[in-house]
Amino acid sequence: MSRVEMMAINDTGFAFDPMSGESFTLNETAVEIIKALKVGKSEREIAEALSELYDVEALDSLTDVLDFIKQLKSFRLVD
Amino acid sequence: MIKKELKIALSGINDTDNPGPGIGVARSLKDSDTSITTIGLSYDIQDPGNYMGFVIDKSYILPYPNKGWEAISLHLKKIKEQSGLDMVIPNLDAELPLYIRYQAELAQDGIKSFLPTQAQFDLRAKEHLKAVSDNLGISYPQTHKVFSIDDMRKALKIVDFPAVVKGNYYKAYIVQNLPDAILRFTQIANEWGYPILVQELVNGEELNVVGVGDGEGGTLGLVAAKKMTTTALGKFWNGVSIGHEQLLAIAEKFVKQTSWKGPFELECMVDGDQIYMIEINPRFPAWVYFATALGINLPKRMVDFVQGKEIDRSSEYAAGKMMIRYTYETIADVSDLSHLATQGESRG
Repeated sequence: MSRVEMMAINDTGFAFDPMSGESFTLNETAVEIIKALKVGKSEREIAEALSELYDVEALDSLTDVLDFIKQLKSFRLVD
Repeated sequence: MIKKELKIALSGINDTDNPGPGIGVARSLKDSDTSITTIGLSYDIQDPGNYMGFVIDKSYILPYPNKGWEAISLHLKKIKEQSGLDMVIPNLDAELPLYIRYQAELAQDGIKSFLPTQAQFDLRAKEHLKAVSDNLGISYPQTHKVFSIDDMRKALKIVDFPAVVKGNYYKAYIVQNLPDAILRFTQIANEWGYPILVQELVNGEELNVVGVGDGEGGTLGLVAAKKMTTTALGKFWNGVSIGHEQLLAIAEKFVKQTSWKGPFELECMVDGDQIYMIEINPRFPAWVYFATALGINLPKRMVDFVQGKEIDRSSEYAAGKMMIRYTYETIADVSDLSHLATQGESRG
């Protein structure tokens, strides 16, 4: 299980990694992405959902999702 | 059947900004069984624990450990005679070598303890931590043992700045340059002697585990936590409980490999999958009450284990709980201090 799957997140965007004890503050979009990753959605599925939710181009949305996942990787929160 | 009321002595009741573990240990015992009498062993009449009647029932002033075992032993025998004493839990680094060396004598005097063996205690010397870490499959920061400033200069050329200059048992400082390193070398050598260790500075988060080994390779429970705020001396002030499975598995392996007996704290630096051993403390840490509050009452489990009782050995606790230390004031009469100073014991 990746660390992001174990992460506890509340509605205000506060996230806690129970393994390392690190906490993070997330914006609304980041919360959506992490919640989707936790239930095993793919990057493309997440981008499509965000594109609909925020009415943005699917390609822009995918770029944002990939960027964010890169950040999560830099924190070693996803493999 | 009349329940025997246990009388347990514990040291480290200096609940200051450099807190000793004694208050956390006493509070853990009191939380679980109000019939336990806690006896504080203090080295300073102004130790806050001497005035914290809500957690320490009675306290005694002991001679400093550098006076030798006989002086301490005489006091413990007197306390046993006067108040009754079933068990002692030493919590301070400076006194542990004596208690460990003379634990058989303590037992002969009818005072129980649950301490590591001399061989186990020796493992925690910083010069042996590399071998301990290798056996556990984790890293130990590159470390050089030095006896002179010239040796240190050579070692620093290898590990480079910033580095850590530390004593073999106590004190550690991060140094940024040679004059800084020389200052710390001199301070530590003057206070604690040689050798001095020069160590590479490793990155990561400081994560700690508290536990008790049963002396046969099993644990009586483990809890891991991350330091969030520390005092100027690097002591745990605020922290959060974590469920770091790899770290907890290492703690279990440590206990199994060494058949560790008694309380311990592992201090590690964790950078992703890389775990570095920093220190092994052969005692409860000052944050032990945090584990108790999470449902893992290690002091009580240890006392019950020593009494031969069946105990819960689980390490199931919630991650994401915070411990917040705070300062508080209690008011005493100066005659309380005077009683301690002249009688060597509190009125309690």
